[in-house]
Amino acid sequence: MISIVYLGVVLFSIEYISSMKERFIKVYQYFTLLNLFVAVMFFSVILNNFGLIWVCIEATTFTSALLVAVENDFAALEAAWRYIIIVSVGLVISLIATLFLYSSAKTLLIDELLIQKAPGSLFLLGGILLIVGYGTKGGIFPMNTWLADAHGKAPAPISAIFSAILLPVSLYPIIRLFEIYNNVLLSEFAFVLGFLSVATASIMSLNQKLYKRLFAYSSIENMGLALIGISLGSYALFGAIILIFTHALAKSGVFMLTGNIFHNFKSKKIEDISGLIKTMPKTGLFLFLGTLAVTGAPPFATFFAELLILAKTINLYGWLVGMTLFFFVGCGFLFINYKVINMVFSSKSKPLVKESLFTLIPIIYISLSAIIIIAVPVFYKLLDGVIK
Amino acid sequence: MHSEIFVLVGFLEIVLSIFMQWQTYILSNIKTFAIQSWILGIFLMYFGLFNGNLSMIILSLLTIITRAVFIPLYLSNTINKQTFRARENKHRVSVSLSILTSVLLAIFSYILYSLVLFEFGKSLISIPITLMLQGTFLIISRSNAYAQLIGYLVMENSIFLLSYLFSGLPFIVEAGIILDILGVVMIGGILMKIRDEDIQKEEELYG
Repeated sequence: MISIVYLGVVLFSIEYISSMKERFIKVYQYFTLLNLFVAVMFFSVILNNFGLIWVCIEATTFTSALLVAVENDFAALEAAWRYIIIVSVGLVISLIATLFLYSSAKTLLIDELLIQKAPGSLFLLGGILLIVGYGTKGGIFPMNTWLADAHGKAPAPISAIFSAILLPVSLYPIIRLFEIYNNVLLSEFAFVLGFLSVATASIMSLNQKLYKRLFAYSSIENMGLALIGISLGSYALFGAIILIFTHALAKSGVFMLTGNIFHNFKSKKIEDISGLIKTMPKTGLFLFLGTLAVTGAPPFATFFAELLILAKTINLYGWLVGMTLFFFVGCGFLFINYKVINMVFSSKSKPLVKESLFTLIPIIYISLSAIIIIAVPVFYKLLDGVIK
Repeated sequence: MHSEIFVLVGFLEIVLSIFMQWQTYILSNIKTFAIQSWILGIFLMYFGLFNGNLSMIILSLLTIITRAVFIPLYLSNTINKQTFRARENKHRVSVSLSILTSVLLAIFSYILYSLVLFEFGKSLISIPITLMLQGTFLIISRSNAYAQLIGYLVMENSIFLLSYLFSGLPFIVEAGIILDILGVVMIGGILMKIRDEDIQKEEELYG
């Protein structure tokens, strides 16, 4: 998944970055940092050691911070600074968690931890802190404040890579934690955080005036749902994995399309964009489809993923909790789609603009997110051992 | 004996971080952080030599080189080029209130330790927790980027004290942590050079 999104982002960056005027860093520095950033993300998901995973995830922070500030204005620098400081403080919490895990189990190797039987209460405390710490980087409530700023101000390809893969990569250690230690208290704690993220994101998306921030809140909502899925385990975990994959394809596509819109309209405000379907037909249509995909409309796989997560929630916590979660997901769906429909299908429009050849990349990604549902049996086969 | 030295080190670190709370001049904050890191490095060195632990000795040397020498030098060099950033114009929290909050944080961390970590039987755990909360408070209470970065570094220092009380982390992880902090400070330094503290008017960062 990392490589698929990376490929698209690099191709899309070629035109996007060279067309930017006042860049904070040079083009070759941009691509070097992007490569380093993706390399440490690869390490984060293949390492077998919680300590080294921490080192790699912290390394993603400073390799990507300058990428956020590429636009080189006060808001971009402030967003990059907030990103560094909030995420680093969050990761200090997961470092304490790593310390507790090591102190309790005497090893940080994941395969050795899998063999060990139920560790003590210090391990539980470590687990709780681990969820808070990595949750900070994954955009989980209550430390989600950096996300909207960084996603809103970063250039479109960087927002795409952040939203599509950085957030799920940050949730990866939490998936491994639940694989090692399936504790009810830990699961409830993660559920509450995930639930609050969904609630906050869907309420906040109501009064967003900038379209990139709107999609940033949609990312928080999806990561909240993914955390709920991870915490519930069994088929909800399966749902979370499908959600992460579909979201990665669709959201990276959507963020790249917002780059196109910004390039032509020179505005980030939702109210300034109208009649997109007439001005930029391909961008408009696929922005609409991509938004449907990230908010969980059928036939996209996110819909089925959300159904799986919701079904398990009702199964474990009852109808009341399930319906409240459904209500917040529904609110998010309505608010985000309403704003995007206004942007795409409103009558007032500018003359037709010739769209760049690079628009094909997000179009392919959003189309792929629609047909990912075919790959569901493959996912099931891959996760056979994990889903109990 | 060890625990008495630890208490002394912890006490000094806490006093130094409280001193940072009401400092207006960023340069003296950087120097205070350097002293804090020297104390930590020497403590780790003593502990490593006493137990004949080679990785601890290497770690203490790394700590001294990066935190006590390189980072303070790097930060003071960047600040010397921009004298207007060397002094914070206005504190978000008044001096008397920050001292009071610091003391309250120490009490709070002791209560936190008694409630959560008491069963682990190490009564010294509240010292690193206090230091960590002081670091967090420094980040929250200041708008100056340098002060915030130092707050983060104080938090990282507290982790080293905490890892002494628990069984510590494997050497490769500790070395990775030091490299990471170096990376954060370098990138932070680049951003701080041009960041404007007065950001209230930026509508793109609201909501």
